[in-house]
Amino acid sequence: MPYKSTARVIRTSVLAVLGLIWLLPVYLLLINAAKSPETFTTEKSWVPTDFSLFQNIAEAMRLSGLAEGVASTLLYAVVSPAIAVLVGAGTGFAIVALRLRHGFAWFVAIFGGTVFPLQMILLPLFDAYSRMGVFDTRLGMVMVYTAISIPFSAFVMRNFFTGIAHSVFEASVLDGASTWRIFFRVYLPMASSALVAIFILQATFIWNDFLLGLVLSQSDTVRPIVTSLAGMQSTYGGAQMSTVLAGGLLVSLPTVVLFLCTQKFFARGLALGQY
Amino acid sequence: MTSDKTPTRRFPKERDPYRWSARGFIAPSVLVVAVLLYLPLLWTTFISFTEYNGLGDPEWIGVENYVEMFDDPEFLGSVLNTLLWVVGTLIVPVGIGLGVALLTWNLAGGTWLRLPFLIPYALSGIGVGVIWSFILGGGGALDQALAAFGIADTPRWLVDAPLNTVVMILATAWQGVGVNALLFTIGLQSIPKEPLEAARMDGATGLRLFRSVLWPMLRPLTAVVVGLSIVASLKTFDIVQGMTKGGPGRDSETLALTMYKETFVNSEYGLGSAVAVFLTIVTLVASILYLRQQLSSKHGV
Repeated sequence: MPYKSTARVIRTSVLAVLGLIWLLPVYLLLINAAKSPETFTTEKSWVPTDFSLFQNIAEAMRLSGLAEGVASTLLYAVVSPAIAVLVGAGTGFAIVALRLRHGFAWFVAIFGGTVFPLQMILLPLFDAYSRMGVFDTRLGMVMVYTAISIPFSAFVMRNFFTGIAHSVFEASVLDGASTWRIFFRVYLPMASSALVAIFILQATFIWNDFLLGLVLSQSDTVRPIVTSLAGMQSTYGGAQMSTVLAGGLLVSLPTVVLFLCTQKFFARGLALGQY
Repeated sequence: MTSDKTPTRRFPKERDPYRWSARGFIAPSVLVVAVLLYLPLLWTTFISFTEYNGLGDPEWIGVENYVEMFDDPEFLGSVLNTLLWVVGTLIVPVGIGLGVALLTWNLAGGTWLRLPFLIPYALSGIGVGVIWSFILGGGGALDQALAAFGIADTPRWLVDAPLNTVVMILATAWQGVGVNALLFTIGLQSIPKEPLEAARMDGATGLRLFRSVLWPMLRPLTAVVVGLSIVASLKTFDIVQGMTKGGPGRDSETLALTMYKETFVNSEYGLGSAVAVFLTIVTLVASILYLRQQLSSKHGV
């Protein structure tokens, strides 16, 4: 049908043009992050000049202690979601499989932990962390990231386990398995795709966090890299713009690649979180 | 503690053999959430009624912080900016996201055409800020592009208010369109084929097909996307802090920024906490109003 094919051509071209516009900032980031600080000017942003991307990245890592920051951030983005996923699964297991009394009320109470804005917990955490000596420590950061990841994880896992027939649990009991064993050997393996989906979502969220890092940490070694990048932007944004852009690229690349490779898991995680 | 190896039915007296293991399994999350989320929440609420700067003890002053907050014209500016963020992020990223989803729907190569929109999604707010500050700065990439088209007299994108808030909303849209498109695509794919075919047989195409069939069926998903967008935009912090720091002066501050500045820059813990409480109430009211409206309009159809 001629009408249909014309519509297709129009749709494809509109999307292609819009898509190109969407890629322009990425193009600008790439070519300007690759300019050496000597050749970089603020007048010719659209034209690539030279390729010093790796020197710039190395310089960015040196300037704001991004190198140590990367290791710390990786630690937060792996350990916290891993704990949160396990703890959240335990919560779902207790409510759904073990039929905890008033389980739904507990569930609502735990999930309620994410309803309010982070601003409500910043000051007390800052105050308490300073008094207890966990301010500006990796332990303190892991603790807070774990805490804010648990409600979502519990929410998703409870919903996921609701879809598993209770007879699975009963059959395992008849086989003589302990609850501990049933949890680790039966329920967790069945939930692996949901666990991975939550893990990826939370890891990305933690990697990209700025506010908690800003309030609860100070030193280059403990600070998450996004927070360090923000500091670098205000300190070196004028003189060494290409270095800052290279730093931005370095900080952004892991989550962008992770997301593009795991789109399906992402969509699944988002969908699980919503229904 | 867990004596649950015994089969349930043989001991009718012990009605719930899993009581203790259930408590054990839920204890970690209850403890962590109570100590690290709920306790601070209560403390912030308490501090909002006190005069406190971190030294000495908080001194009870009743609602004085709230009175001071509402008397401050800068606070009202911050409320208006936050409102602009809520409305702007609803119209632009959600709207364009729906558009992209509809355009790529059932289109050969749709997955690839959606890809450019998805690339910025996983960026941090600060990352987006770094890129867009570079583009929007005075004489930056955008000004150069406009100059090439003969437009020399450009506004100061990040300085003139409320233009700076508008361009930051657009930068956020650049990031957010992809995920909204992805969600709407999932919604479109889950629409059953029969009503669509029926509508097509009746000759419905384009806008009419959208209005009569697609839109009603996307309704539940739209509710989720819109709800998420409102809640997220009320908390807008990273991108503003990254691009303008709420400036010039306090012209582009959002509520989250006001809270941060009062608390951690001015050490006005009480006032900062009052702003946090206000922001929380607004967030809760928005979610409740929104849900109610959504439920009642569902009944209406």
